[in-house]
Formats: sequence, C-alpha cells, structure tokens
Amino acid sequence: MGKREPSACSRLRRQEPAAAGSLRRRRRSAALLAVLAVTCAACSPTVERRGVTAIGIESQYADVLSQIAGPHASVRAIETNPNTDPHEYEASPAIAREIAAADLIVENGLGYDSWVDRIIAATENPRRHVIEVRRVLGLPRDTSNPHLWYDPKTMPAVARAIAAALSAIEPAQQAYFRANERKFDASLSKWKKTLAEFAAKNAGTPVAVTEPVADALLEAAGCTILTPQSLQLAIMNGNDPSPQDVATQEALLTGHRVKALIYNRQVSNPLTESFLELARKNGIPVVGVYETMPTPGYSYQTWMQAETEALIRAVTRGVSTVTLASEGSRR
Amino acid sequence: MIGMHALLHVIFASGFLANRPVRAALAVGGGTAVVSAVVGVFTVMRGQSFAAHALGDVSSAGGSASYLLGVRPMVGFIGMGVLAAAGMEWADMQDARERDLATGVILGAGLALTALFLYLDTTSGSASGAAIAILFGSMFTLPATIVLPALAAGAVAVVTVGALYRPLLLSSLSAELAAAQGTRVRLVGLAHALALALAVSLSAMSVGAILSPALLIGPAATALRLVNRPGLAMALAALLGIAAVWGGILLAYDSYYWTPGHGWPVSFFIVSLIFLGYVVANVARSSRK
Repeated sequence: MGKREPSACSRLRRQEPAAAGSLRRRRRSAALLAVLAVTCAACSPTVERRGVTAIGIESQYADVLSQIAGPHASVRAIETNPNTDPHEYEASPAIAREIAAADLIVENGLGYDSWVDRIIAATENPRRHVIEVRRVLGLPRDTSNPHLWYDPKTMPAVARAIAAALSAIEPAQQAYFRANERKFDASLSKWKKTLAEFAAKNAGTPVAVTEPVADALLEAAGCTILTPQSLQLAIMNGNDPSPQDVATQEALLTGHRVKALIYNRQVSNPLTESFLELARKNGIPVVGVYETMPTPGYSYQTWMQAETEALIRAVTRGVSTVTLASEGSRR
Repeated sequence: MIGMHALLHVIFASGFLANRPVRAALAVGGGTAVVSAVVGVFTVMRGQSFAAHALGDVSSAGGSASYLLGVRPMVGFIGMGVLAAAGMEWADMQDARERDLATGVILGAGLALTALFLYLDTTSGSASGAAIAILFGSMFTLPATIVLPALAAGAVAVVTVGALYRPLLLSSLSAELAAAQGTRVRLVGLAHALALALAVSLSAMSVGAILSPALLIGPAATALRLVNRPGLAMALAALLGIAAVWGGILLAYDSYYWTPGHGWPVSFFIVSLIFLGYVVANVARSSRK
C-alpha cells in the first residue's frame, strides 16, 4: 500500500529550487506571500523547478539514472516496494502527474510497466525523453521474460542511453554525463568477474526456480535452469499451472536433482510456498531474489553482487539466503 | 487389443495417476463432488440455489483475506462461508422475493470485500495469482497436506445431513407440515446452512468461488431431473459429480499435450461437463414424455 503514496517513495537525489523560486515571487507580489507560505510548505519541488526531472519507473533504473545524472537531475523512482509484485502495480493520479511533467523517463517495457505508456500517451509533452529498455536492447515485443535488469549486458546499454538523453536535455554537461557512464560501466566489472569465475568453475550447475525473475543472471553464471519455462510463466502471470509441470518441479527437489532453488520473494502463493517447504525438507538451499532493488543500502551494482554471492554460497556451501539484509549487516 | 491399449494411452496420457498434483486434485475434487451431491439435492429441493451461489461469492472474501492473514485459504473460505450461512439463516426471510433481493445484495457486498482483499493481497503483499486461484480455482496447486482436512470438512457436512435426513427432507418439502409434526424447522435449517457453507467452501477451493455453485447445484439438479427419490438422486448426483470432476481433471491433464507446454484450466472442463450433463438429462427427459 505504501508505494502508492508519493511521499513513501524514495527520492534518490534532487535539487532544491523551491526556496529560490518562492523568494523571487515574494518580491514580486506581497499578496501572494501568504498563499505561497502555505502551499510551498507542503508542496513538492516541481513548482518553479529548474534542472532536469527524471523518473526511473523501477527503482533499479532510477538508481542508474542518478549515478549518471549526478546533481544535474532530480531523480524519482516509482516502483520501489520490494515486498510486493511489481507486475500488479497500479498508479495513482499524483504519480500520473509527475510522469506527465518529467523530462526523462526510463521504463522497462514488455508489459512490465505498461501503465506508464498509457499515461505518456495521454499527456503530450514534446520535451520529454522516454527510454524503453526493451527497445534499447533491441528485443522483440513478445520476449517472455521481462526482468531485463538481471542480464549483465542490460545496464551498460541503459546507462549509454541515459547519458545520451541527458546530454540532449543539458548539452553543457555532456562530458560529465559521459564520464559518469564510463565510471558506471567500470563499476560493473567486479560483478561480471564474479559471474565469469563462478561460471568457469561450475558450468552447467542444475538449479530450480519459482519464477523467471533472475533467469538471466543464472544463465550468465552458467547455471542450467531445470524448471519448465511454462511453470515459471504460469507463476509469473498468476495462471493455473499444469500438473505435469508441478510434478516435474517437485521431482527436481525430492530427487535432489538441483543444487539450489531460486525463488522470487515478491511473488508468493501456496504453490511457491510448497516448493520452498519441499526444498527445506530435502536439504536443498534456497536463494531469495528480488524484482525491485531492495533499499536502502543497495545500489544496482551491490544488489547484483549480493544476489550473485548468495547464489554462490548456496551452490558451493549449501547455505540458504532468504532475505538480503542491508549492506554491512549481511551474514 | 493393441488398438484398445493405444486408445487408453491416448485418454490417460502417461503418468496421469502417478502425478502428485493430479492425485491431490482427484481426492479433494472427488470428495467435494460427493459432499456437493448430498448437500446439493436438499439445496435444490429447498429452492436455495441462489443462496448457495451467494455463499460461494461471500466465502471468496474469506479465501482472499487468508493471503493477508497468512492462513490456509481453506480456513478463510470455510470461516467466511459459515459466518455468512449463519447470518443468512438468522435473518430468516420467508418471502421469496425479499430473500432473493437480500441474497443479491449480500452477494455483491461479499464480492466487494473480495475485490478489496485481492487488491491488498497484491499491493501490500506478494500474493500474485491469488485472484485466479480464488475466483476460478487452481486445483493442481492444492498441496498434499490439504487433502485430509478437506475430506474431514466434507465428512462433517455429509454426517450432518445424514443425521438430519428425515427432518431435513420433511422441512424441505413443507415447512408447515414439519413444524406441525414437531420438527424444529429453524434448527434444521441452520444445520443445512452450515453443511451448505462447508460444501460451498470445498467447491470454491476446487473450482473457484465464482464456479462453485455449478459443482454444487449442477449434478444435483441433473439427478433430480432423472429420478424422484432424494436418496437415489444424491447417489446419482455423486456419480455425476465425480464423473465431471475426474473427467475434467483428466481432460486438463491431457490438454497439456494439445497446446504444447501449457494446459487448459481444469475448472473450465469440470463446469463444461456438468453443463453438458444437465443439457443431456433435459433432452432425455423431454424425449421420454
């Protein structure tokens, strides 16, 4: 519920132009003073704003946005609650207004946040730049797994698109944005190295999943996902799964044919719970993964690193990781 | 001989009876069909089909709330169903028109609660897929541990109806006559309502809250078209119900091989078979005349 309140959403970074704006107005009109004192005490900094307002629909895109934009944009994330299923998100009118007024929007696409497209289509804004990650990656519209950010190839391309869009909005800062983009790419090398090292030593590690959320990461880590794709999609889409698929998944766990069960913490139902229970009973380590970046304490890079390390702990030492604690207090 | 074997192999695609979710569905669905038959015949005779429908919808509020409360959906279904049944019986509306109106309004209120709880399930929790499972059923996701509690709840309903068979029959045919003979009509009515709540809840768990009246009323109504004696009608309704449920499960299992990789919803097959049986029974009856 909390994520529907704009105030509850994380405001990652923003400028403070409101105070300066209201000062100018005060000089202009004494009559406005009382009104402004009341309204500006409560209002958001979008009144009389300067600089760029950018929105990352999913918090992981907002995080990369702020890493590239630095202090030159106020960045806002919409889908930030790591305890709910982002597929089920419903926007409020306040969020629709923010999206309508934004200069730059980064959305995932593939139906994951299709509500954004409806708002964008309904509100004309010639200055607005929209980055659809699916399009950036050149993926077809019928790509079945929308969780693009788990693929190590995704965010560098997104960062490049963000830097280009920001440079178009604020050409004076182009060099700064490009430098940040290079810095971001370099910071991903630790994660990519961890993945490559694990993949080299543990190629073809068999794993089961409840849902396709982290499939791209698992593939990058060289794992073989034995859970039927149709079961993953049925759980993701909230459909009735077939008994064949359920039995296949149960046999993977009871037959100890997988080294770990990776489950989406944001999609749970009696069926996924029963898989978890079965994994515990059979001594198969479980790894909880997130659709939405857990905040506070994580950046996109440290989040991916933490989930990869959790996978490695499960496969190499048989240790389960149910939740990602905030940075520093991790087990 | 080989042809027969091949035919059987086509009908029972390999692994049908060895499949754990199939066996749980066969057990819970079969039990639900028997309970629905026993309770459903009285429900049809008492003219309470609409009330049964409303109970199914109201119980879905309990089913959807269970995700929020972290309890089994079965507990939610039965809890809300029993509450609603007791409330409806307590209100004791004699006038059929009034009763229909009140039932309709209660049905709407129940579904409104369901809408709220399903919304909260997915916006404040992570219960994806709850809407389909609650409203349209998800038989193959029933865990093995639900089989015994479900069959026990069904047994309670059957035993209740069995123990009150004579007074229930009498008061269903004529409440005035039953009262004149010293039957405590309201108490019997309450017992039936509670058995009905259990039957509807089980039915809602199997084929979903929206479709639950089909399983409860369909086989009973079909049986009452074909035979007159209530006891015989119950037995026939149980057979018809089991045939529809097990046939539906089999078709849903087989459908996995029709559309590669994903089966069709089991509730669709079950309710379609029930409907087909009802149509056939009506045609058979009118051609006999």
